Amino acid sequence: MKNAALLIDVTRCTGCERCVEACRQEHDLGVDLPRPGQAAVTGLSSTRLATIVRLPGDHYVPDRCRHCLEPACVSACLVGAMQKTPEGAVIYDAERCMGCRYCMVACPFGVPRYTWDEAVPVIRKCTLCHHRLVDGRLPACVEACPEDALGCGPRDELLAEAHRRIAAQPGRYLRHVYGEREVGGTAVLHISDVPLDFLGWAPPGQERSLPELTRAALSTVPATFLGVGSVMATVHWVIQRRIRLTGQAAAEGQDGAQEGTDPDA
Amino acid sequence: MLDRLSILKTALWAMVGALAAVTVYRFVYGLGAVTNLSDQAPWGLWVAFDVMAGVALAAGGFVLAATVYIFGLERYRVFVRPAILTALLGYVAVAVGLLFDLGLPWHIWHPLRYPQIHSVLFEVAACVMLYLTVLALEFAPVVLEHPRLQDPVLRRVYTVLWRVTLPLVILGIALSTLHQSSLGSLFLLTPYRLHPLWYSPLLPLLFFVSAVALGLMMVVLESLLARRFLRHEVAPELVAGLARAAVPVLLLYAALRLGDLIVRGVLPGALDGSWQSALFIGELTVSALLPAGLLMVRGIRMSGMGVGVAAALTVGGLVLHRLDVAVVAFARPAGVGYFPTWMEVVVSLGIVAGAVLIFIRFVETLGVYDGHPTPPPDRRKPLWQAAWMRSLRPAATGDVRRYSLAVVSAASLAVLFLPWGGASPRATPVAPPTSQAALRSGPGGARDFLLVAAPSGAVLSAEEARSVFLLDGDRAGEVVIFDHDAHLEREGGSAGCGTCHHLNLPADRSTSCSACHQDMHRPTDTFDHQVHVLALDGSQGCPECHAPGQMKTRAAATACAECHTDLAPAGGVLPAASDRWQAAPAYADAMHGLCVGCHERAVEAAAAEHDPHMARCDFCHDADRRSEVRALAPARTSRTWSTAALRAAGHDGL
Repeated sequence: MKNAALLIDVTRCTGCERCVEACRQEHDLGVDLPRPGQAAVTGLSSTRLATIVRLPGDHYVPDRCRHCLEPACVSACLVGAMQKTPEGAVIYDAERCMGCRYCMVACPFGVPRYTWDEAVPVIRKCTLCHHRLVDGRLPACVEACPEDALGCGPRDELLAEAHRRIAAQPGRYLRHVYGEREVGGTAVLHISDVPLDFLGWAPPGQERSLPELTRAALSTVPATFLGVGSVMATVHWVIQRRIRLTGQAAAEGQDGAQEGTDPDA
Repeated sequence: MLDRLSILKTALWAMVGALAAVTVYRFVYGLGAVTNLSDQAPWGLWVAFDVMAGVALAAGGFVLAATVYIFGLERYRVFVRPAILTALLGYVAVAVGLLFDLGLPWHIWHPLRYPQIHSVLFEVAACVMLYLTVLALEFAPVVLEHPRLQDPVLRRVYTVLWRVTLPLVILGIALSTLHQSSLGSLFLLTPYRLHPLWYSPLLPLLFFVSAVALGLMMVVLESLLARRFLRHEVAPELVAGLARAAVPVLLLYAALRLGDLIVRGVLPGALDGSWQSALFIGELTVSALLPAGLLMVRGIRMSGMGVGVAAALTVGGLVLHRLDVAVVAFARPAGVGYFPTWMEVVVSLGIVAGAVLIFIRFVETLGVYDGHPTPPPDRRKPLWQAAWMRSLRPAATGDVRRYSLAVVSAASLAVLFLPWGGASPRATPVAPPTSQAALRSGPGGARDFLLVAAPSGAVLSAEEARSVFLLDGDRAGEVVIFDHDAHLEREGGSAGCGTCHHLNLPADRSTSCSACHQDMHRPTDTFDHQVHVLALDGSQGCPECHAPGQMKTRAAATACAECHTDLAPAGGVLPAASDRWQAAPAYADAMHGLCVGCHERAVEAAAAEHDPHMARCDFCHDADRRSEVRALAPARTSRTWSTAALRAAGHDGL
């Protein structure tokens, strides 16, 4: 499947966590341990790549990597350990990773997790079950969901489905597909009866993709490099020439003008 | 001979010793055991101080090289070599700091193998690697001046390096401009997490300008320290000249920051009294406004004390700026803090101490300050001198011994404080064994325990008594009397031990009672009085259940089934109610007795029209772990189907 996406219907989720369990088995995550000093595991962790946020009033919000269309983590990674695949998943390659954790800093949703307590630590995050997508299978969490709260398919189809559901039952949903345009669009879409802006760091309505911000800065690099280099060379040439000329003038017996500026003059 | 320098060196060696101990611990037990970093605070002191501030502190190298080689201000040449050496050691310290901070430090060369031109961090890494090479080449002539390195080949290398000084300097300036600013660009990617008083589209420019100021002030501070510890005198006018050059840079930096706040309209945020505004004002004052003001006064500029204070303020303030951007003003979820552990501090200080020691060593053996080689004394000493044993502290080895002592004792002290055991998961607290007498007079007051496992009044044989004991299986401070043999029998004899003892939950001694005894196995009272009051039209409805004249008690009220005649649908197999106030059947019983049976019959009758899931055992039960039911229990989540919803979905008989 190309450009795969997830549609998460918050109003359908009953919080049974079978998706979490399916994910645990699929990725062989073992047991979910609180870190030292942490009372309990809350939310995503290195052993819980998909989770359900429980809101007051029986709202259950499945939470996982959004698989952004323009992922900040991918643009941040200096060794290409984070990659956006044609299947739509953002995947991680520990063989390349240096462990700088810039992806964790960069993610606008605060998703990537680190196996801090291991001597050889790695990043852990949802991979949208990329290995299954390649085989034409659905992600484990989608397959496990008994309430059809998770759906997987091509992003444009799911987007249309999301809008169809909202139009069919306007009272049931907020009129917004979370992920349609947020931070440039994400592959994981939420429709919900409660506001979900708390799931990310961006305030509501921020639709600019983050890699654009650094792309602008990086595009000036060659010009800065050549510009600074040539300006410095020119300044050096001009000043050395003036020093040489002043020296010659002084040698010719005239009053030598002091070059430069005295710092305390 | 305890002069100032050897006291300093002793202190530095002690820091290196502590670093050595923590280093071993760091690489054996991992980042989690040594740092307070977490998923919410992925960058801490090591990134902020060792890397970001470290790179900025080493900016003196390119600033002084530009001053002398490009702008032709020859009188500052005396600062160039120490500044280049500081930069070189600074960047080496950054690299060493990175080895501590990176999760997989043996992949530190991967940016060369997998270059990613879209990554700002790649640009930083590439520039730093190139600049480190440039610095090494710029400093190499100083090493090659050493009298021992005077063979013809090395002389030729020396000459070549001497000739390419200018291109190297220009390359160094261009690379420094790029990566000093790009360290700021790193945070362009985090507009929502970095506080608006620090986040700015101008971050690259701010980082570059502040690095220039920091570079100048570090050279000033360093020359003052060299005067104090290395007895290296520099003319006060030269120091004052550098300090004066920093004034416009600092003012430009302050103007850029304030102007940027005004243009972006967040200036009010700097005065709103929050801790961020206080930090912002303090940081800007200490780093730029105060030192710039001080240095405008000629008297202060010319006095060692005055210029030293101003330089220290700038250095401290701008290091704080880097810490603020990377850690302090970087948003974390509510309630998650970060403060470095002592081990993180020891590593940061130890690396700096090591760099300073190397700096001192280079000054002592190479022509760092005077620009021409000083012939070193003949250092080839015999490996062993009998005289060394006779004196406790011969002058020649006194310092060395003291330094070794400092290293060893600091390392031992650090080892003593290391939290051995590493970052093992928190063990579930287990109540210590308690005698029955102690329990009876425990904090809950005198309590009696009913022996549920044995017939009332029976005298247990020794064999039986051994199998029945008090158990706080849930570690909840509540003790029950537990019949071990009964459980063993129920779980299938010795094959069943694993149910409790060998399916250990992590860091848990054994399976807790509640792992099996869940609410889904207990009958539950589902009666909600308030719902009935509302449904029956408020107090008008009381007589519906409570007959007039009768006590309004539960026992006297109308029982549920008398109104709700359809509570147990036809065909359901449920435990017979033993009294009219029987609580609702346990979830498991209801599932088996009502739902599953009905679905089974429906699927059997017309398989195509009905969802087969509910009729299948493995829909709820994990095939491998028969006693574990998949997490379908409504016990704590309470989102269960209402009768009305089930009716609407076409369930008959409800």
